[in-house]
Amino acid sequence: MSKIGEGTNPQSQEKRDLLVLLERAQSRSGYLSKRTIAELAESLGLSIGEVYGVASFYSFLSIKPQGRNVIRICKSLPCYLKNAQTIIEGVRKEIGINPGETTADGRFSFELTNCIGACDKAPAMMVNDDVHGDLTPKKISKILQAYK
Amino acid sequence: MAEITVTINGRQVSAKEGMTILEAALENGIDIPTLCHHQDLTPLGACRICVVEVEGSRTLVGSCHTPITEGMVIHTHSDKVLATRRMIVELLLASHCGSCFMCDKANICELRKIAADLEVGLPRFQMRKNYYPLEDISPYVVRDLTKCIMCRRCARACSEVAGHNVFAIAYRGFDSKVVVDFDQPIDKEVCRDCGVCISFCPTGALGKPREAKEEKRGKPLIITS
Amino acid sequence: MPEKRVVLANCGVIDPEDVASYIERDGFKALKKALKLPGEQVVEEIKASGLRGRGGAGFPCGLKWDLARKAQGDEKYVICNADEGEVGTFKDRYILENDPFSLVEGIAIAGHATGANKAYIYLRAEYHFLLDLLEKAIAQAKKKGFLKHLDIEIRQGAGAYVCGEESALMDSIEGKRGEVRYRPPFPPTKGLWGKPTIINNVETLMNIPRIVLKGAKWFGGMGTERSKGTKVFSVSGDVAKPGVYELVLGSSLKELVEDLALAKKVQAVQVGGATGRIIPGDMLDTPLSFETILGAGAVTVFNESRDMIDIVHRTLEFLAEESCGKCAPCREGTEAMAGILERFSKGEGLEKDITVLGELADTMMLASMCGLGQAAPIPVMDSLQHFRGAYDNRIRQS
Repeated sequence: MSKIGEGTNPQSQEKRDLLVLLERAQSRSGYLSKRTIAELAESLGLSIGEVYGVASFYSFLSIKPQGRNVIRICKSLPCYLKNAQTIIEGVRKEIGINPGETTADGRFSFELTNCIGACDKAPAMMVNDDVHGDLTPKKISKILQAYK
Repeated sequence: MAEITVTINGRQVSAKEGMTILEAALENGIDIPTLCHHQDLTPLGACRICVVEVEGSRTLVGSCHTPITEGMVIHTHSDKVLATRRMIVELLLASHCGSCFMCDKANICELRKIAADLEVGLPRFQMRKNYYPLEDISPYVVRDLTKCIMCRRCARACSEVAGHNVFAIAYRGFDSKVVVDFDQPIDKEVCRDCGVCISFCPTGALGKPREAKEEKRGKPLIITS
Repeated sequence: MPEKRVVLANCGVIDPEDVASYIERDGFKALKKALKLPGEQVVEEIKASGLRGRGGAGFPCGLKWDLARKAQGDEKYVICNADEGEVGTFKDRYILENDPFSLVEGIAIAGHATGANKAYIYLRAEYHFLLDLLEKAIAQAKKKGFLKHLDIEIRQGAGAYVCGEESALMDSIEGKRGEVRYRPPFPPTKGLWGKPTIINNVETLMNIPRIVLKGAKWFGGMGTERSKGTKVFSVSGDVAKPGVYELVLGSSLKELVEDLALAKKVQAVQVGGATGRIIPGDMLDTPLSFETILGAGAVTVFNESRDMIDIVHRTLEFLAEESCGKCAPCREGTEAMAGILERFSKGEGLEKDITVLGELADTMMLASMCGLGQAAPIPVMDSLQHFRGAYDNRIRQS
């Protein structure tokens, strides 16, 4: 997981570290709880709204609880041209949920995302930080097995 | 501050270094419409209503935040500028709830006034509108964000004038919104009765709770034939 | 013209995890040379080379550096923009995966030339998997004593296309929402935390060690009058061989998409990503240069089976999702355009919509606060110009 900002002394945390701290909290707990946001606001001298505003701006930060693994299928043009729709369908069938949802057992959250920079391997998706390219509906089951 | 000479709408005028184009125009009796700008607040440049043409510039420039410099040739009301302002107003109206006849602030609404001045009528296209529930649990302020145009004057006034920090901006793009805490309705816990934000809101998004029998504020429209 | 690997010279040749393999291939020689020269002279060399920014805007790199070098400030910053978010771009990913050392060297030279002693690499969230490799490269360069004058820190994005825009990028590094700032002031005078800052794309900085080592004259010998050097392209879409290709600037679009990427039956090519120009298939002889079309080098090919209105509609949906939302023309304009295009894609367009699209485009181009809103109408207007028939066919018959 992210090592970014670990050199920052917690005593000297400043407003300028907000995004780094949010990213760290996100990778630690999988999402940004109200408590996390309130604590960060308190320690940095910001309003809750300001922290919430940053947290809700970025699509890789989540203000809702997430599954242990987050699947993000690229929906941008280069992947769309290579039938990303069949991959979306494939994942939907495999884990039984729609984009925007989390499985009941908390194993997966499923999202669609904009271009992930793997267009040469389209269609592509990310599972957590891993990029999987040249996907076919057949490959999905095997890929997802690795994520518990 | 040093005096500089600029040309506004074909007329040579003087201005002071450090002024914005808007300030210089105003001082020379030229009126540029503004929405997100307010003289008591830090410039934001968000609404783009105050754009003007500066010769040599590829795009129009926001007059509320662009410093005026020696020799600038500025057009504040060229066809290009007016067409741009009209389209911005048309866009804001297209996503606005549009219920002016029921709005307490209709007669003092800056958006409505600018639309009238620029002769913008009903938008020619349909757009998604952001409808939000009315927030009327606070005894001091009523928020109707369906009427909000994201000028952020409330947020800036709250922090810069009132010295509080009740409002923040959340989400992104067309979904962006002025929020309180975790995007919850404003209540008396977070906001006292200073009313500063209400006076800064250009539309009907912020108002005082209406008491029974209270008349609508503002002057009645007088229709002349 | 075949491929010419200047920026990519080390890719697939060196071991990206081992600085020794980079040093063997003249690695850090340029930095050593630059450190012996006054910063001003390095800036002059970059100016003379004619190198222009590779991130899309094409601003002369040397001029940017000169402004920052001359700006008053106790602290100055160099930012490497590795927020490659443009749809269809992955060349910076390829570069970072294969040759992180040249980037580190380029940043180190930029620091010396401009007088900055702190640099940030802003890495997009989607490239988190490259973090370890990049950190290792920085650590190895530091251990070898190449970074005594400069501290390089990696900051990660968190998923926002607009953060590739330099002012939004700076706000993001400052820990805020990645919203655009109005300009002036420009970053070389007042950038990150109000200090003089230069922001360069990964590929721009990759060119720096090459120019310092081989000279401005050598670099200026490649390309066209106003587009010097090479450009790295990311080719995707309807091609048999998608991938990263480097060509001398001025090469034709045909060479790239048909000869190298093996595209067939091309209906159109979008050059420059979501906000890029759409070139119809019968204009593939168009040269790739700053004078004509370029952007950040994203090249997406659409064959004859594709529905261009669907393509443009999806593009505008993307831009509407990614608009920061600060300025009205972009926030409302991208949404309005996406809505109108959605109706066209369903065959429910109206005659007057064509006029409205044109007026919306003018307003967004003229009044938006940053490049996103200013360039968002480009694919719409290009498709109206070249594929007007497709629009006319979707106007509701009533």
